[in-house]
Amino acid sequence: MNVVVCVKQIPDPAAPQSLEPSTNTLDRSGKLILDDSDAYGVEMALQLVDKAGSGEVTLVSMAPNGEVAGLRTALAMGAAKAILVSDDALKGTDALGTAKVLAAAIKRTEFDLVLAATESSDGYTGTVPVQIAELLGLPSITFAKSVTIDGSTVKVDRQTEAGYDEVTAPLPAVVTVTAGVVEPRYPSFKGIMAAKSKPVDQVTAADLGFSAGDVGAAGSGQTIFAVADAEARSAGEIVVDEGDGAQRIVSFLEGLKVI
Amino acid sequence: MFEWSDEHLAIRDAIRSFVDNEVVPNIDALEHEGVPPYEVIRKMYRTFGMDEMARESFKRALERKIAGETGRPERRGGDNSAAMTLIPIIELCRHCPGIVTSMGVSTGLAGGTIMKGGTPEQMERWGLDLMTMDKIGAWAITEPDSGSDALGGMRTTARPDGDEWILNGSKTYITNGPYADTIVLYAKLDDGSEDDPRKREVLTFVLDKGMEGLVQSAPMRKMGLKSSPTGELFLSDVRVGVDRLLGGRKDPSRSKSEGRESAKENFVTERAGVAAMSLGVIEECLALSIDYAKSRVLWGKPIAQHQLIQLKLAKMEVARLNVQNLVFRHIEMSSAGKTPTLAEASAMKLYSAQAASEVAMEAVQLFGGNGYIAEYRVEQLARDAKVFQIYAGTDEIQITHIARDLLA
Repeated sequence: MNVVVCVKQIPDPAAPQSLEPSTNTLDRSGKLILDDSDAYGVEMALQLVDKAGSGEVTLVSMAPNGEVAGLRTALAMGAAKAILVSDDALKGTDALGTAKVLAAAIKRTEFDLVLAATESSDGYTGTVPVQIAELLGLPSITFAKSVTIDGSTVKVDRQTEAGYDEVTAPLPAVVTVTAGVVEPRYPSFKGIMAAKSKPVDQVTAADLGFSAGDVGAAGSGQTIFAVADAEARSAGEIVVDEGDGAQRIVSFLEGLKVI
Repeated sequence: MFEWSDEHLAIRDAIRSFVDNEVVPNIDALEHEGVPPYEVIRKMYRTFGMDEMARESFKRALERKIAGETGRPERRGGDNSAAMTLIPIIELCRHCPGIVTSMGVSTGLAGGTIMKGGTPEQMERWGLDLMTMDKIGAWAITEPDSGSDALGGMRTTARPDGDEWILNGSKTYITNGPYADTIVLYAKLDDGSEDDPRKREVLTFVLDKGMEGLVQSAPMRKMGLKSSPTGELFLSDVRVGVDRLLGGRKDPSRSKSEGRESAKENFVTERAGVAAMSLGVIEECLALSIDYAKSRVLWGKPIAQHQLIQLKLAKMEVARLNVQNLVFRHIEMSSAGKTPTLAEASAMKLYSAQAASEVAMEAVQLFGGNGYIAEYRVEQLARDAKVFQIYAGTDEIQITHIARDLLA
């Protein structure tokens, strides 16, 4: 059972962020970390491989400046190796371009299943995994809250607003997992020390067969014209309990039609 | 070494996340509700594979012992074992130094003493379970009438009786004493001779919880370090065989100072550990103080703009840099296979402990009235840091060890 996990390395959400004024995209020139939402896919993949008794987990990522810090975190968790696509020519690539690049990288591996998060914690487009599936000609299942393998079939409980759907697809397939699918492990000390010697195959856009203009800002079908602050939340109402606090809260909730 | 490596930072981040998820939500239970820290420690050991690493380390130590090798094992360049030991200590101490004290006494002092001085059989019988934290250890030397003068003023006795010894006396301020499964206990030989009691041989024994005549008290109430259970031990005609004498059957060729040396061997290790603990307290107090100084507004501006507050922050940063450099030096020495002298370890501990205590008290002062309130956390760290100047040798004892070396 070989599983590819698409992982994104993002600027640390806890650190101050800035936009590049010329493109209105996030400045990714500093140190990047593993997107928290990808830790679930890595953990799910490790558990599936462990249960199968053979195979390995391969990471696929696209990031500037040859950044590997986030990949090392996932390698420390137990992934065997990684492919990193890093190239100045990729700067400004949109979601579809990213999917093309990742799909081309995935094709360099032998895999039974591709896992990804439902969306990244910085871009939030949520479109890349299904685009990868389309480009690879594979079935895709989104919002998995559980994933099991039964022979040559992947069985997924797919989270919905009302509950969940039971969905199956033949392997190979692309599956996106939610944060509820499994609890990611902490990397062990040994895993952290071993991660630095695990192979990371760094490739360029040209290595994957892309020409100038296929990817990057030039190949992008989207342009960000402006970025605006989210509308500030209005101040809440403070209820001072003067003996009628409970009734006033009930009235407030009734006004919202939630009770 | 002037900064943490990427691997060190990865370990730090992993431990920090564990502390945030497993320690911080339970801090009230650990600090104020008498919940012992052992399950949290065991969970940390399992989570990060520290138990497995301890088993592997134990196996190598046992093989060396059976082969008759003495001294420290040869280290390879770039050995990270010291950093992997100290980074969890630093991170845990940002929130709960008591956990580190319980862990350090169990593995470092009780476990370490058995691993160094025990026979292969004793290592297997007691050492492994202590090193993995499967069992809890205590290291019993201090007595009601002898703290810093523990070896000379010791009144607990070991009276030979055929092939056995009979132990009597009491110990106090024993970390993990109330819950310990295994107790490394020091006692003065009482063979009926007329020798000066201060100069009599000190013997080291290993006791088990529940032995007849051994009583482990309930936890004592303390100023700080409340998450680390501290207690008394009472020994009333506790009968022990030679299998419990550290190092096994007494042999005329064995040095009479062996028990004293066994106790002293731990000084360097525990003093380096206290420096790492101090760094954790200092880092957290400084971070909390910076946040507070920026957000607390008085007279229309953040207090960080007042020079007296800036002075406090600057002094905290000087302390942080100095203590971090001492910790880095220790890691670098350990990586090179070298051990600090007792005087060096004492100097490191003296400076770090005083710095931690001063920084934490200054943090309380910087927070003003809020600093005196538990919610703002610096009061706990200040209470906890004070003991760094007392246990593992008081400041005054560190000074004597440094001066003795300088004047030798």
